[in-house]
Amino acid sequence: MTDLLFLLEVSLAGLGSGALLSLTALAFVLIYKATRVINLAVGEILMLGSYLFFAFAAGMGLSVWLALPLAVAGGALTGAVVERGLIRPMLGESPISVFMVTVGLGSVLIGLVELIWGTDPRSLPPFIANTPVFLGEAYVSRKILVAFLVAAAVMAAFMLLFRYWRGGVALRATATDQAAAYSCGINVPGVFSAAWTVGCGIAAGAGVLLGAIGGISPSMGVFGLSALVVVIVGGLDSILGALIGGLALGLIQSWAGTYLGGEYQGVVTFGLLIVALMVRPYGLFGTHEIERL
Amino acid sequence: MFSLTRRRVTGLMAGVALVAGLGAAQAQEDDIVIGGSIPLTGVFAFAGVAIEAGMQDYITQVNEAGGIGGRNLRLAYEDTGYKVDQSVAVFNKLTSQDEIHLYYGDSTGFAKTIAPELNRMGGMIMGGASFASELNDPEEHPYMFMAGPDYSEMIAILMEYIAEETPGAKIVLVNSDTEFGRDPIESSRAKASELGLEIVEEIITPPTAVDVSTEVLKLRRARPDYTIFHGYILAPLPEFMTQAQQLGLETKFMGTFWSMDSSIWDSVGEPADGFMGVMPYRYYYDEEADAPTMAKIREMRPEYQATGYMQGYLSAMLMAESARRVLDQGQELTGTNLKAAMNTIQDFDTGGLIGIPISIPGNSVPVGRVYQYSAAEKKMQPVSDWITVTE
Repeated sequence: MTDLLFLLEVSLAGLGSGALLSLTALAFVLIYKATRVINLAVGEILMLGSYLFFAFAAGMGLSVWLALPLAVAGGALTGAVVERGLIRPMLGESPISVFMVTVGLGSVLIGLVELIWGTDPRSLPPFIANTPVFLGEAYVSRKILVAFLVAAAVMAAFMLLFRYWRGGVALRATATDQAAAYSCGINVPGVFSAAWTVGCGIAAGAGVLLGAIGGISPSMGVFGLSALVVVIVGGLDSILGALIGGLALGLIQSWAGTYLGGEYQGVVTFGLLIVALMVRPYGLFGTHEIERL
Repeated sequence: MFSLTRRRVTGLMAGVALVAGLGAAQAQEDDIVIGGSIPLTGVFAFAGVAIEAGMQDYITQVNEAGGIGGRNLRLAYEDTGYKVDQSVAVFNKLTSQDEIHLYYGDSTGFAKTIAPELNRMGGMIMGGASFASELNDPEEHPYMFMAGPDYSEMIAILMEYIAEETPGAKIVLVNSDTEFGRDPIESSRAKASELGLEIVEEIITPPTAVDVSTEVLKLRRARPDYTIFHGYILAPLPEFMTQAQQLGLETKFMGTFWSMDSSIWDSVGEPADGFMGVMPYRYYYDEEADAPTMAKIREMRPEYQATGYMQGYLSAMLMAESARRVLDQGQELTGTNLKAAMNTIQDFDTGGLIGIPISIPGNSVPVGRVYQYSAAEKKMQPVSDWITVTE
């Protein structure tokens, strides 16, 4: 009985951290879906978002409830500027060039944060209560529960938006066929811009949640790598894939960490990536593109 | 009549520049150069920036006092980003530019990579940011040293303290899954059994771990008296401690040198209160009367200096002292002579940077003191005497 309760607690913790992975994966998916660019700087935008929150809440002493939307807006603005200034001029260039630009962008953002806020790891001002939550007898960290609920709400909202909102449909149309979308009167560059803006805003928000749990440092962007595994397994252009992939990876990592030991988490994570790529190279829920010669 | 044409002025300027350049080159040729692969960016940058400041300050002091045998000390360094390949590249570049007999390396990975080359060259000794137990082997690494206890010795110091405070205590070891984190696990088991302490759980966390709920659940099952972290700077320690407190665990949390800087705990606030750990040096704000070095540091830098500063300062001090002893005996600056000179350091007064006189019998300075963080004071406060451990 105790062992069952322990398994339940471990699984809940895994689902919680999996939700954070899903949220970060959503940023990858949104940008890829619209622009076919894998933005490797998502991890660094996430890091920037947490530092912006730190600056607004701790540095300027604003209320955390004001600092949070400002941090998200800051991330979104960064996304918009990057898209307009760096990515759009590269339209038509080889995908690897654009990919490398995002790699460089990540390094630039790390450098900027180190210049402005220094290199010390820091803690965010507390804005989630510390009292533990018990679901029945099972313990759940409140921060993890909050992260799970926020991630679930954001993911649900985006799934609905893509299904029913005109802008969402425009993004799906752009993703399917850019030329056809143009001819239907869809503002394709506008869609690109919107995807980068919203994607980076989400990454910044995920950064604040992540920072609230684990503290912030210029190197926290490596979290983006785990989220990249999620999108590759789930499908680069599938929001459902990001959701299920994130939760599954969180759960598997948690079980592996508990029953095999923390040293096996990386092996299991990347082992899963290799198997997924061998079985379904386009991801569990991704679009299977057939290229005709 | 001498008239200043443009050509003459240009020639004159070139001449002045040449003479000044030659003069500078002459002065630099005499310098005793300390080379450095220092991480000024990347995950370890917070330490690298402080280390560089500490080394520079000690070097300035030595030079202002006339240098070593009339020769100035100079730090030649470049940023490595805490990447082994970059550190090696910097090492190769600096050693080809200057004659270097003293070197500061930035990581265990770098030290182990460069060790065969160091043994082959035989021309220098090397200290650095790594306190890896493996490097504390004078047979295998005759030219290495560390300005403090190795990681196994750090845990041993903590366990000596625990055995004194709570005989037979139950301990959980939490280590990051990195070379740095896994270093002292084996030796910790041996030391615990030697002191009659019981290790009830060993938790390994992946290097990118953010949420530690699962690990805290393991901790709750084990119910230890003490939890010793190793292989971390700050994250995920605060979350670990917060969640443990939420669950009503009464374990005391401890850490090793690189997670002991008090400024990183300031922003954590209340959950950090009571965190303990081993520290080989005095803190910037320690105002004991027998510490003129600390007073001097506060005079040079009125603002708080991190623990990495003290490490850099002592590293430079030990390098300079070894060079001084070699030159005083009229010997050449070689790796063998410098290391032999360093091993003659016995009951050496660091001016209070370390609270007791130190000796370097092998590759390390096996001394440390247990400090505890006070959230109210925002300071680390000593809770033990200086403890010396010997193998």
